Amino acid sequence: MSTRHPDTELMDLLDRIAAQDDSALKSLYDRTASQLFGLALRVVRNRDAAEDVLQEAFLTIWRSAGSYRASLSPPMAWMGLIVRSRALDALRKRSSDRADLMNELDDDMAQTLEGDSPNPMDAADASEQAFALHHCLGKLESKQREVVSLAYLRDQSHGELAEQLKLPLGTVKTWIRRGLEQLRACMARYA
Amino acid sequence: MNITQHPDLLDRLAASYALGTLRGGARRRFETLAREHATVRAAALVWQTRWSGLTELQPQVAPSPAVWTRIDNLVRAGQLEQAMRAARQATPAHAPAPAPGGWWRNLLVWRVAAAAGAIATLAAVVVGVQVNGGLRVTTGAQIAALQQQLQATPQIQYVAVLADDKAAASMLVTFDPKNNQLVLQRVGGFQEGADKSLQLWALPPAGGPRSLGVLGQDKLLTLVAGEADVRQVPALAISLEPKGGVPSETGPTGPVLFKGELIQRML
Repeated sequence: MSTRHPDTELMDLLDRIAAQDDSALKSLYDRTASQLFGLALRVVRNRDAAEDVLQEAFLTIWRSAGSYRASLSPPMAWMGLIVRSRALDALRKRSSDRADLMNELDDDMAQTLEGDSPNPMDAADASEQAFALHHCLGKLESKQREVVSLAYLRDQSHGELAEQLKLPLGTVKTWIRRGLEQLRACMARYA
Repeated sequence: MNITQHPDLLDRLAASYALGTLRGGARRRFETLAREHATVRAAALVWQTRWSGLTELQPQVAPSPAVWTRIDNLVRAGQLEQAMRAARQATPAHAPAPAPGGWWRNLLVWRVAAAAGAIATLAAVVVGVQVNGGLRVTTGAQIAALQQQLQATPQIQYVAVLADDKAAASMLVTFDPKNNQLVLQRVGGFQEGADKSLQLWALPPAGGPRSLGVLGQDKLLTLVAGEADVRQVPALAISLEPKGGVPSETGPTGPVLFKGELIQRML
């Protein structure tokens, strides 16, 4: 591990990738693939689909690293948004291909929500902005944190979340509203 | 009510908007306000940035090693394609007016090239007939010129015609040891889907299939290969794989579409 700030290291790699240096792409992959694969898996919930998403995302990074600097984002956030957007594409395509798929996945999801686990999130490599969010999310009840996270990561409405998590619509709305109020108060301190 | 005068309400709406849970009419009204007021736009941006942190906080999971192989194959295929385009652009021998999307995509170029090839074959046959016919019009100088021409052309040492299960030829493969090149020409009408790749395998007498590379979508394809890769390989096969192919160690995972004997040329 180098002593340099991880962001600087990743930004240097992105600069080299913009110059079509394929060894830099390999280094970036080694540094970030597990993090980004975890994200893809959380959105699409299927290993094969998540691997396709990761592949697409890295090809996108290979082609568009030149526009990274203009985004003014921390490097992990920029890559995270690419993965999320590819994953949402895959999710939309899949739900139009196979409307019945949701049924298989309900069980997995129900389990995720039942366990009142401590904050399972991983902030080891997170940027400062993500670290603040991590801290504030950690103060929520786990079910509130879970629905708020899923709403964002999977771009789902109250109705879709209620259906998928087999919860009453009113419950989902309440959890999200309370979660949001607490988060806003907490994040305001980091502004 | 002017939302910009109510910072708490603005913050709440911006947070729901960026989270994605503000939907329908409320979402459209917020978007209209954001277009009109920079303060509203700024609040939305702040929350979009905050929520994007969620993408960094998910538990890490190691992907299968095959994913990197596929990415690497596709990046290499892209680089090779770019290099070939650059080479073709540098020597526009028979370039017609540039077509939209670049002249190399123009079918006409390929037809002209194919026609030129056919004419060359015809000429060779004519020369052969003349020689065999005992007309002996070919002078020593002409033979020397022909030999020189042969020296300059790629040296094709191995040939394979890969066919599908109905024995219809689908891929012509030649190996040129001088340039360490496998050249593949699609001759059937087969075209894989955009999410699939064809992968070429050597089928050695002992051990499992060895990957020789992943094919791009072009009609004419080039793969880098040393003579050791093809020597004493009795047959080649092409399988249908996920886009980018699979690692060589895995062996083919999809159906074998085409296969054929690899023949060492004696003449």
